[in-house]
Amino acid sequence: MNCPIQSRNPERFVAYAAGTLDPETARALERHLAECAACRSIAADQTAVWKALDAWEAPPLSPNFDQRLYRRIDQEVRFSWWDRLARTFRPMPLRQAVPLTASAGLLLVAGLLLQHPGTIAPVAPRGEIVRANQVERTLDDLDLLRLLGTADSTQSVHPDAR
Amino acid sequence: MPGDVGRTTLLRFGWVVLLAILLAMVAAAQQPPTNPIDRWNRMSPAQRERELSKLPPARARLIRQRIWRYNHMRPEEQQALRERYQTFSQLPPDKQQIVRDRLREFHQLPQARRPVVHSEIARLRSWPEAQRQARMIGDEFRSQFSPQEQQIIRDLSAYLPN
Repeated sequence: MNCPIQSRNPERFVAYAAGTLDPETARALERHLAECAACRSIAADQTAVWKALDAWEAPPLSPNFDQRLYRRIDQEVRFSWWDRLARTFRPMPLRQAVPLTASAGLLLVAGLLLQHPGTIAPVAPRGEIVRANQVERTLDDLDLLRLLGTADSTQSVHPDAR
Repeated sequence: MPGDVGRTTLLRFGWVVLLAILLAMVAAAQQPPTNPIDRWNRMSPAQRERELSKLPPARARLIRQRIWRYNHMRPEEQQALRERYQTFSQLPPDKQQIVRDRLREFHQLPQARRPVVHSEIARLRSWPEAQRQARMIGDEFRSQFSPQEQQIIRDLSAYLPN
C-alpha cells in the first residue's frame, strides 16, 4: 500500500481509528504500519484520541434544553429596535473605542476646517477683559459702517465731528 | 454574529460622531462674540468701570454714551450692524483701512450726492459679482459717477457685500 503520509491521505488514519475502513484496507494499512514508524506514530496518536473520546461522558442535558435554546434564538431575532439601540451604549473594549473616537475627532476637525477655512482661531477665554481703547476703535468702525445702513445717509453724524 | 458586531460597531461610531458634533455646537455657542462691544457688555460693571477709569473722564464719558447708543439701537438695526462688522472684521487690515477711507470719503461727498452713491452701493451689493463688474465698466456708470464716487462704490460693494 502507498504510504498515507506521502500520498497525502491522512483521512485513512482517522477511518482506521474509527474502525470504518474495510477489512482489506485495514489489513494493508496494518502491514504498512509495521514497516513505517512515522505512520505508526500518527495512527497511535489518532487511536489515543478516539479512545479518549470514547471514554468521555457528556454531562446530561436538561429535558427542555432544545426548547430553551430555540426560545433564546427566537428572542435574539425579535429584539426590538430599542434593544438594538441600547446595545450600542454597552461599554466597548478600549481597543475599539480609541480608534473610533480618534476617527470621529478627525472627521469633526476636518469638517470644521472645510466649513470655516481660515477662521479657526484661539478662542478668547470667558471673563475676557476688553480694553477701553479697543472699544473706542470698534465704536469708530461701527459708526462708519452704520453710514452704509442708513437709508438717508445725510442724517448720520460724521464720526470725525464728535 | 460577525454581521451584528459590525452593525453595532457602526452604530457606536455614529453615536460618537453625533456626540462630537453636539459638543462642538455647544462649544461654538459658548464662544464669546467677536464684536468687542458685545464682549464689553458681557464684562461685569466693576470690570468696565476699572477699564474706563484708565482714560481721561471726558473720553470715558463719551465712550459710555456711545455704548449706550449702540445698546439702545433697534434690535434689527443692531443685528444688521453686527453682521456688517463681522464681515468687516474678517477683512485683512489693509482692506479694513480701505473701507474706513472710502466710508470717510463717502461722508465728505456733497449732501446731494450721498443718497445717489448710497443707493448705487446698496444696489450693487445685492448683485452677483459678474453683474456688478459688468455694471461698473459700463458707460452709464462712468457717466453717472465721478472717479472718486466710482472708487467708493467699487471698494465698498466689493469688500462689504450683502
